[in-house]
Amino acid sequence: MSAIETIPHRATTPDELYEDAALTYGPALERLARAYEADPDLRRDLVQEIHIALWRSFKTFDGRCSPRTWIYRVAHNVGASHVVRQSRSRSQALVGLEELENLPDMNIDPDRTETLDRLLLLIQQLKPLDRHVILSYLEGLDAAAIGEITGLSASNVATKIHRIKNLLARRFQQGGKNDE
Amino acid sequence: MNESHNNSVLEIWQSQSVEVTKMSAEVLRKRANKLEKKVWWRNAREYAASLGAAALLAYSFATTHDVLSRVAFGLFFLGLMWIVVQLHRKGSAKSMPTGVDAVTSLHSYRVELERQRDLVTSVWSWYLAPLVPGFIVYTIGHAIRFPHLAAWAGLALLDAIVALMFFLIWKLNMRTARCLDRMIHELNGSAK
Repeated sequence: MSAIETIPHRATTPDELYEDAALTYGPALERLARAYEADPDLRRDLVQEIHIALWRSFKTFDGRCSPRTWIYRVAHNVGASHVVRQSRSRSQALVGLEELENLPDMNIDPDRTETLDRLLLLIQQLKPLDRHVILSYLEGLDAAAIGEITGLSASNVATKIHRIKNLLARRFQQGGKNDE
Repeated sequence: MNESHNNSVLEIWQSQSVEVTKMSAEVLRKRANKLEKKVWWRNAREYAASLGAAALLAYSFATTHDVLSRVAFGLFFLGLMWIVVQLHRKGSAKSMPTGVDAVTSLHSYRVELERQRDLVTSVWSWYLAPLVPGFIVYTIGHAIRFPHLAAWAGLALLDAIVALMFFLIWKLNMRTARCLDRMIHELNGSAK
């Protein structure tokens, strides 16, 4: 199911809005949680935390942005809090996109590691805001939508997407061929 | 060529198999209530403990006849009240905005973390120091009331234990401050 679908208009109460959001964006929320937490048990907790935050948030949803923007904002904000809370158990500090571009490729054998796993490892090194942008890009959102979710200016989003495209091309061209 | 390759990465990302979590509104309501109750009980416990200690100090103040001991219990009582007020004013966690954009959310989060860090960094001034006058007066009063070596040795041991506890509380808070610093660092560069 594509993540750029929007919630049907029939939903009016917070409960209905949540149910439709969970139905439409459930897979996207799972993918998002995967990028924020590698441990399966902690990830299950994170997904539940996102669902609770989403359900609660619809009580204050005023329609000033689209439900899709709202859902991604809430989910990303919960994910970001989770990442920052977990900093105690992380051995390496998170980096920005610019720093990640200059870091040497991870010591991963492309022949033995799936593209998805390598992609997750790459994303999990990023600081929250850059993680928001790359995840939104991977979900197929355009620059305008990413700007609305993150609050970044259009030019800033464009620069980050350019960096992401270069980064993905550089890191995955070789591995992509091997995966096929 | 890069564009088509990136598209295949997007496709791999979007087509990954995931098990979708299903939570009914009823389950969510129960979980949310449970969480709220947990927070309520934690706060209630903290206030009850402070109230209990305050009542005990007030009772000691009212029933003791020695002037210095009364002054000491009075100072302990005032110190405790100061701590409770500071905890209420500065210690309560602020709720974070949910549906706001990431830049705003991360900025609020960073401000909150910095506030918490400043609070634990200054633990000496608002949590430990207010109790010091009470201990000093209590020590002097006790030493005057029981002027023999064994009592003074016991008093010195008690003060050493209190000083050690103060040191450990301070160390623990400094560790928390370092942890919060690291969290703030993770957010730095994320939001201006």
